[in-house]
Amino acid sequence: MNKCRRFLLIVFLLPVILLTLTSVLWAAEPVKLGEINPLSGYLAKHGWEIHQGILYAVEEVNARGGLAGHRVELLSRDDRSSPEVAVNQAQELLYREKVVGLLGGYVDSLVGPISQLAARHRVPYVASASLQSALTRQWRNPYFFRVSKLEGIVEPLCQFISQTLKPQRVAILYMATPGSTEFATEVAGRLRRAGAALPLMEKFRPGARDFSVFLLKVKEAKADVLISGGFFPDNLILVRQMRERPVGLKAFIAPWGVAYPSFIEEMGPASEGLLGLCAWNPGVTMPGTEKESQAFVQGFRHRFGVEPNTTTMHGYTSARALLAALEKVLQKKEPLTGATICRELAGLDLLLPMERLKFDAYGDPMYYQQVVVQIQQRKMVVVYPPARATGRVQYPWDF
Amino acid sequence: MIFAQILISGFSLGSFYALIALGFSLIFGVTHAFNLAHGELILLSGYLAYYLWKFSGASPYWAVPVCLVVMPGAALLLNLLLRGVKAPFELNSLVITFGLALFLQNLMLWGFSADYRLIQPEMGRFLEAPGLRITETQVMLLLLSLAATGLTHWTLHHTFLGKALRAAIQDRRAALLAGINVRRMGLVAFGFGGMLIGVAGPLYAQTMYLYPAGGLEATLTAVVITIFAGVGRTRAILAGGWLLGVAESLATFLLGAGWRELVSAVLLIGLLIFRPHGILAKGEG
Amino acid sequence: MTGNSRLSQALALGATLLLALWPLAWPEADLYFQVFGMACFYGVLAVAWNIYALCGAISLGHAAFFGLGAYGSALLSHYLGWSPLVTIPIGALAGMAYGVGCGLLFRDLRGVYLGLATLASVEIPKVVIDNWSSLTYGSMGIVGLAGLPDIRLGDLVIALGRDLKAQYYLLLLFLLMAGLLHRYCLFSRWGWALRAIRENETAAAMAGVDIFRQRFLAIILSSYLTGLGGALYAHLLGLIEPALVFNLHISALPLVLSIFGGRLQLYGPILGALCLYPLDQLILQPRLPTGHAAVYGLVIMLTIFFFPQGVASWLLKACRRVSN
Repeated sequence: MNKCRRFLLIVFLLPVILLTLTSVLWAAEPVKLGEINPLSGYLAKHGWEIHQGILYAVEEVNARGGLAGHRVELLSRDDRSSPEVAVNQAQELLYREKVVGLLGGYVDSLVGPISQLAARHRVPYVASASLQSALTRQWRNPYFFRVSKLEGIVEPLCQFISQTLKPQRVAILYMATPGSTEFATEVAGRLRRAGAALPLMEKFRPGARDFSVFLLKVKEAKADVLISGGFFPDNLILVRQMRERPVGLKAFIAPWGVAYPSFIEEMGPASEGLLGLCAWNPGVTMPGTEKESQAFVQGFRHRFGVEPNTTTMHGYTSARALLAALEKVLQKKEPLTGATICRELAGLDLLLPMERLKFDAYGDPMYYQQVVVQIQQRKMVVVYPPARATGRVQYPWDF
Repeated sequence: MIFAQILISGFSLGSFYALIALGFSLIFGVTHAFNLAHGELILLSGYLAYYLWKFSGASPYWAVPVCLVVMPGAALLLNLLLRGVKAPFELNSLVITFGLALFLQNLMLWGFSADYRLIQPEMGRFLEAPGLRITETQVMLLLLSLAATGLTHWTLHHTFLGKALRAAIQDRRAALLAGINVRRMGLVAFGFGGMLIGVAGPLYAQTMYLYPAGGLEATLTAVVITIFAGVGRTRAILAGGWLLGVAESLATFLLGAGWRELVSAVLLIGLLIFRPHGILAKGEG
Repeated sequence: MTGNSRLSQALALGATLLLALWPLAWPEADLYFQVFGMACFYGVLAVAWNIYALCGAISLGHAAFFGLGAYGSALLSHYLGWSPLVTIPIGALAGMAYGVGCGLLFRDLRGVYLGLATLASVEIPKVVIDNWSSLTYGSMGIVGLAGLPDIRLGDLVIALGRDLKAQYYLLLLFLLMAGLLHRYCLFSRWGWALRAIRENETAAAMAGVDIFRQRFLAIILSSYLTGLGGALYAHLLGLIEPALVFNLHISALPLVLSIFGGRLQLYGPILGALCLYPLDQLILQPRLPTGHAAVYGLVIMLTIFFFPQGVASWLLKACRRVSN
């Protein structure tokens, strides 16, 4: 190797060696919390939103003086949407950093393995965006809690459709992922029982960029309502192609990816009349939490320079739950162990902007119910349930 | 009339596939550099077009000339990087561009955040025929792709430079013997490839969406079509793109969206086995 | 270039002993058992990929064998309830069967055309399994797969499923066996035939090498080993999903690790796996939670730049220079 290359090699190796050395040293301890989210790769957008929500909650607590005087330190890791990386990083947080609680998580196939690991280490894990029923119903895991559940999406969606829209024919498009598939199966079952016909139910693989042929089939099937189980990017393309070539739909409803301020911004006027679901949004909050929600939105905007959305709020809520439990334990001057923290989590009853947070015996949130919104004049108007409605649904639309 | 609509979908999608593949094919053909960061370069071009569109408010098609100038620069930088790669060149270029793709992906994630970005189409402009509707985007896609392909084909077959390029693609050693400066041809290929990437970027930002991790799909499409069509054959690339686009659209219609990839894969494998040198190749060795 | 100097052999022996004996000093180091265990696992996958690459075939679709092995074992375990120790070797046969199919179908393809065909070949089992929900549960996947069972030797109970140290030793053993297999592939008569095919196929054919047969053997071996890896993976993780096991990452990583480490060296793929994977998981990720992937990409680029034949080649040359 000539001199130049040798020099470059040393310049490159030195930081690696330094990084290795610092990895071996142990850090001192405030209250340490760990979070694992998809921060790069396909789901990075949602991973970052959850991360920001959790970070905001932690910073909020630290600004107030910490938990009973103790500062909270948040350690973030990237799971790259891979279960084994998620497990590796969870191990790292639990074994090396010795965190007292875990947060975050977007994909259920990652949340599952992490929750099992957490149980083995007897550390509580409050998942931010887990949905599937198998995670809480298949094994009892006393260390696993979550602030969302699939039921909270399926029920309002089906009730809204069967009571308000009352369509004859429904088409469903869903993704080849466990969450979306379970969602589609549940919804299809309920709608059939309510008397609707389902002439078209199709699955697509994440990353598909063209739905024009599927939309043709929707037109041929003379569907009234299209339910899209795709995520944000899929709906961007689906809605645009739908607008370009009308297919005779009366309503378009998507639980993921529509009720986002950034969706409305990216789609512009094409977003008019679309129906979506969300647990929270600026302006869409649990009755009684308006002030808190406003303060959150303003503080978040100031801190991150972006608009918070429902995914952000899921992260924030999960962090608030864990932090509240930790605070109770510290106030009672008890040690921070899995048993004490889980006991406090089980006894929580908080009214937060997203939901009234109380966990049932399985770790599911008892009162998690999303609301149906319609985008009217670039704003999200709540149209279901009637108790929280801020406007009337405009139906039928002409897509 | 449905089938006509499906065909149009297939052709416009296929034209786009072909456009994405052209740049890759040229670069690979002349330099044998297996550029796995191709998709990321298209994304960069797309992001450039997006921000130009956002901050100037002008029609997104004005971004195309800018990208046409900037992207060859990026491509030539890549060429510089690959110059330092030693034997085995093809394999090492594959792994190096794999690392580069990862690096660029995360650079874009840091620079542009993980949000999905889209150049909003102006709605409501289309061609209408009884039972048929061709949107403006589809027309532009077809036109631009055909123009790019046509230009590339003309350059390759009707200019002296093109002849030298084709010679380098066919047989580098023979081209060297014939006195062609193969190194310079590599530069030209990268420059030209960069221009094609520049055209593909804004279209990508309009018909699909921009996302840091989205480069992989584009790269895969480019690789598939290039090898499918035979390296460096422009008309075959267009035909290959159309074939794939139409096959996918038909498969989606007849079998359902869940079988799309299978049909493409079977078609691809079938063609590779029966016409291993590309679909329009004349069966040379 | 593939011979060994005394020094490098001693280093290899030393490294093996270190890998086998360090847990005695740190018996509770779960994290390191996990990460180094997985590094050994990826080492096996890298070796498996490299066996096929030795005859010049760069496959971009090994995930197909991995996924089929995983599903083979998972379905047997789920429906028949057999112990994973039985379903893993049998499930891997599914991967091998597909390898046979590919070997026959792609017999005349070379170079990039072969690479592309293998890339496309991942889609077929993936889409079929994804859509055949009545058998495979489709996109939902299967959760709650049986973990590796306990092995009882007299009074000693080795809890392979729950004890990370035991898993580490299992994976280390797996890696050592793969290493021995790799050595055989490189230095046996068959290995020379493969090398001849890789260097110049026409000349090899003229020298009497049965091209088709040797390449066919290579892909059978490679696909079975990869299928074994897949089956093991399913039971280690406890869940399976089409997108998880038919992943492009699974196809790409062994390739990158092999070339990073040096695919023509005995220890090349293994070195690649043992260096790059722990580096990424233990050092880059925790220190740079948001930039680690970029640095990972940079590391790969720079290594190929400085060590175009892989790290192991450079090490070997360095050892030779020191010995002389």
